[in-house]
Amino acid sequence: MDAFLTSRIISDILEGLTNGVIYGLVALSLVLIWRSTGILNFAQGAMAMFSTYVGMIVFAHDVSYWPLVGIAIVFGFVLGGTTERVLVRTLYGKPEINPIVVMVGFLIVLEAVAAAIWSTSPRGIPNPFSPIDWQLGGHPLALSAFSVYEIVTALVVMTAVAVLFRFTKLGLQLRASALSPEVSRLLGVRVGRMLTLGWILSTGVGTVSAVLVASNFFTGLTPQEMDSIFAFGFIAAAIGGLDSPVGAIVSGITLGIALQFVGDYVNSNAIILTALIVLIISLMLRPNGIFAKSAARRV
Amino acid sequence: MNRTRARRLITSSAALVLCTGLVMVGSSVVTAGATTKVPGVTSKSITIGATVPLTGLAAPGYSEIAKSADAVFKYVNSKGGVNGRKINYVLKDDCYDTPGLGCTGVPNTVTQTHALLSIPVFATVGSLGTPTQDSVRSLLKANGVPQLFVNSGSTDWNNPSQYPGLFGWQPSYTAEAKIFAKYINATYPGANVCFLGQSDDVGTDGLAGLIGAPGAEGVTPTVTDFYSVDALVATNGASVGQYISAFQSAKCTVVVLYTIPGATDAVIGAALQLGYSPHWVISNIGSDPVTVFAPLSAKGLTQDPEIGAVSFSWLPATTSGSPWIPLMRTLMTKYYPGFTSATPLDGNMEYGISWGVAFVEALKAAGRNFTRASFLKTLTSTTFTQTPSLLPLRYTAGDHQGLDGGYLTSVTSATAVTPLTGTVYQTNSAPSGPVTVTAKSSAAIPTWLK
Amino acid sequence: MEGVALQRRSLITGALVVVAVVVSLVAASRLRVGVAVAIPVALALIAVAVVTIPGLHDRHPVVLRAGVTVLLVDVGLFATYFFPSFTNYNLAIGAAMAIALLGLSFLTGVSGQISIGNGAFMGVGALIVAIWANHHSSTPIVVTLLIATAIGALVGLVLGLPATRLRGPYLAGMTLAFAVAFTAIVNAFSSWTGGDAGLQLPTAVTPPHWLTSLYSSQASQLTVSSVWLADITIVAAGVAFFFMANLFASRIGRSMRLVRDNDVAAELVGVSLPRARVIAFMVSAAFAALGGGLWTLVNNSVSPPEYSLALSITMLSLIVIGGIGTIPGALIGGLIYAYSNTVITWFTSHTGINSQGNLASQLPGIVFGGLLILTMIFAPLGLTGAVRRLWSHFRARRAARLALVGTATYARHTGNS
Repeated sequence: MDAFLTSRIISDILEGLTNGVIYGLVALSLVLIWRSTGILNFAQGAMAMFSTYVGMIVFAHDVSYWPLVGIAIVFGFVLGGTTERVLVRTLYGKPEINPIVVMVGFLIVLEAVAAAIWSTSPRGIPNPFSPIDWQLGGHPLALSAFSVYEIVTALVVMTAVAVLFRFTKLGLQLRASALSPEVSRLLGVRVGRMLTLGWILSTGVGTVSAVLVASNFFTGLTPQEMDSIFAFGFIAAAIGGLDSPVGAIVSGITLGIALQFVGDYVNSNAIILTALIVLIISLMLRPNGIFAKSAARRV
Repeated sequence: MNRTRARRLITSSAALVLCTGLVMVGSSVVTAGATTKVPGVTSKSITIGATVPLTGLAAPGYSEIAKSADAVFKYVNSKGGVNGRKINYVLKDDCYDTPGLGCTGVPNTVTQTHALLSIPVFATVGSLGTPTQDSVRSLLKANGVPQLFVNSGSTDWNNPSQYPGLFGWQPSYTAEAKIFAKYINATYPGANVCFLGQSDDVGTDGLAGLIGAPGAEGVTPTVTDFYSVDALVATNGASVGQYISAFQSAKCTVVVLYTIPGATDAVIGAALQLGYSPHWVISNIGSDPVTVFAPLSAKGLTQDPEIGAVSFSWLPATTSGSPWIPLMRTLMTKYYPGFTSATPLDGNMEYGISWGVAFVEALKAAGRNFTRASFLKTLTSTTFTQTPSLLPLRYTAGDHQGLDGGYLTSVTSATAVTPLTGTVYQTNSAPSGPVTVTAKSSAAIPTWLK
Repeated sequence: MEGVALQRRSLITGALVVVAVVVSLVAASRLRVGVAVAIPVALALIAVAVVTIPGLHDRHPVVLRAGVTVLLVDVGLFATYFFPSFTNYNLAIGAAMAIALLGLSFLTGVSGQISIGNGAFMGVGALIVAIWANHHSSTPIVVTLLIATAIGALVGLVLGLPATRLRGPYLAGMTLAFAVAFTAIVNAFSSWTGGDAGLQLPTAVTPPHWLTSLYSSQASQLTVSSVWLADITIVAAGVAFFFMANLFASRIGRSMRLVRDNDVAAELVGVSLPRARVIAFMVSAAFAALGGGLWTLVNNSVSPPEYSLALSITMLSLIVIGGIGTIPGALIGGLIYAYSNTVITWFTSHTGINSQGNLASQLPGIVFGGLLILTMIFAPLGLTGAVRRLWSHFRARRAARLALVGTATYARHTGNS
């Protein structure tokens, strides 16, 4: 049994799962914003990263983990809501290209400001959970206290948000405000509030993922930490369908596991290449994503 | 219609006047001869420049080097300069030519070098990096600008026939690796050795020295891997994990690293995570404990996992009692921004101070009136014994590599390395060529520093 | 009336051309540098004469564009002779970037497809030039650049095919993935591409003898080769601009704009949507590859990490600020790219910001990102759009004023022919 659990295949699955839940979180946050406001937030990772930095600096000395997480998430809420009100409001109804470009600009500014204030050197966050892999019969099991914490936290958050979105009245209001704002207004839904709430929720989810990434003992917090994670999270969301929260979670986890196998059995260069090819194939077959409900427009 | 014709006439005349004017200006420019003064040198100052990674992946540690040399120059300037000239050192950031989104807009090395040339500078002194400096070799050569004391151990800087103005300074990676191989063979005979190097000269030169010439006392690794700096940045350090895992599966008890500090961190972290603790043998460029441990300690690690690693140095250890150490500390406290009595004097700072002193020595030896050509001649005909390095610095017309030896060190704490045996080795930069033991030169402190 | 007026105009134009040639010959005979001065001056005057022919815009727009191109290139070439080498270097870099931006402007503005992967296309061109030069060093520069452009177009085709079915965010994401994957591709084939370290050109681009002979023997190599490299890029930029200007106005360009604005209508009219989109991708990739290839020539080396996602995003920022879907926008973007660092360095040295500190290194990012956001919100058509709006506003007011005057004088003028 020990040998099986520490075998290469299981190790890859476990490590892939650890990465995959992060991609799932990012993908979910992207889907949330897309479903609630119809915008693809390219600055998602950067906003999350920035919130994590704010959580870290609130305590100049003696940074302890849980307050840091709390402050980061709260700041994430504030940042998301403020961004929607100030920046995104001006973009509704404009051509598709405008919000994408603006969010890309926001991405650059956030990373540059973070690097200007806190430099690009990695910062450590003291972690209550040990990242050292558990050993089983002398071989490392691809799980540690920290990675279990990562997986459990991510799954809990993803499930909670998905449930909120699909099964609660608030979720229904969020979805309705995006789909038919006029009708929703007539029915008494505060559409503006719902749009802001969508962003608040999404940035909170994104911040959780950034905190988890930064808490990873051996990578630490840098302004660029979310860049490639955002790329993979976006690819997962695109494959699963920007409309589908469940699709985002499933494809994030699956992508994480699949890419871990690719990285292990081929080499690390093949990882992003595989992701790109999978993305292209998936979009050619189902341009709106695998789990999308609406059929693609045929042109 | 009248208006159109008038407009046309006016436009044409204006164009004619403009072109004629340009021609007049131009003919005066063409006949102006080139200046006969030495570029970058005035009666009161000499301007030198360097492209260094002030931001980005390579910045931790490496950004201290040129600033430490600048501390030496500031000290010298406070005493009136060299032969009456103050040294003006211009630093340009090139982000190690790896502009991830953390260095958006930072120009590349070629652009920054062009900027330096337009100042103009007398020479570039202490520019850092192997691929970065390779990319400007021909540019600097074509303009007759000396490229001095390149901060890298690549053998690319030793090419006097093609690049007469190009000089290295530190012992080459090949020389260092040969000394490592001798040590490994003596201490761990028959062990499985694994090698991880950067995917450029750092890694390939190191591997060549480790393996050595056929029949020589080399070490052939069981597993050899190279990592890409770009991939390291993109994956936040996770890309080296697979290599360490492979080393663990191959049961390597000795791991040789030719890595920059950021990569050393990632490797040590991955090994900790896997519960893998081989004997580390780390190149000087990536082993400085202060640089390596800083991010790890910020994450809550109390015990420096690098302790016990073997590395290499050619400069006095901070624990050695050499009179250079207190001198360096005084220098840094006065002239390095942010250096206090509590700041540890790390390997990068010693590195920068050492070639800074060497440059001042060379400038002194060149005399009050010098040209670029005469300066290079001074470099190749003088032996510099009054610098911190334990071996004298010697260039010849046929060898521009620089220092050629050093001693093995052991990382004994989070802030210091100590000599392993104290033996000082000397060897050339070809994979063949024996490693010999040599007596230390007592690196005296020059009078201008006392 | 038309025939006689046209004849008169042609005579005047011809006379101006003759004057230009005579003046140039006179100037040539008086000055040391002779023909090298005469040719640009003559060309400039001819171009001016051609460009100012009234009605050319409607009758022979291609000739007009050619004239404008020749004029601008000519003045540019002339100017490089007098600039210091660092200026020429920056101009060369900026001109190459302008070429790449032209392609991006076409793709996003005219064809309406967003791409944050054009930096990777530049990287393709840059690598092809370096690899080719290392294996076939005797190929003339023009041929090498054409090869790079062709391969760039090919890569654009490969990426454009899946792009045809994708809408905004999905397309942006695919180009994002490509930009990120480019580095991995480079590393996967590192024996060809040099991996992270890149490649050097085996021999630097040497200026031709006739250019070197214009300079005194004491002029440095840097000066002459910087002039030559700037000249190459300016000529290439001229060719690129001419091509693009005609493409914008052609039927292909018009049908692309139709696809962008109303693809259903375009389909009804018979425009093949996938084909239009793929062509746009190919064109933008080809232009980007040409720009990247020129960068390799100017830098004498290629450093693949430079062609990262950061470059793609910078390109997008530049064309947005300059003006998406416009040609002057690409020029403006190129200039900004060439001089942004000089400006920022000047700014940091004059405001006491530590030039070696974090803020100074991140200032370009803050400025670019900020400008990108502000431009997109307040002036989505960029600087060009803003200037054009001002210009048409000005002309409208002038026309309104003239209309009042015109009605009074119209009666008087209708008597003349």
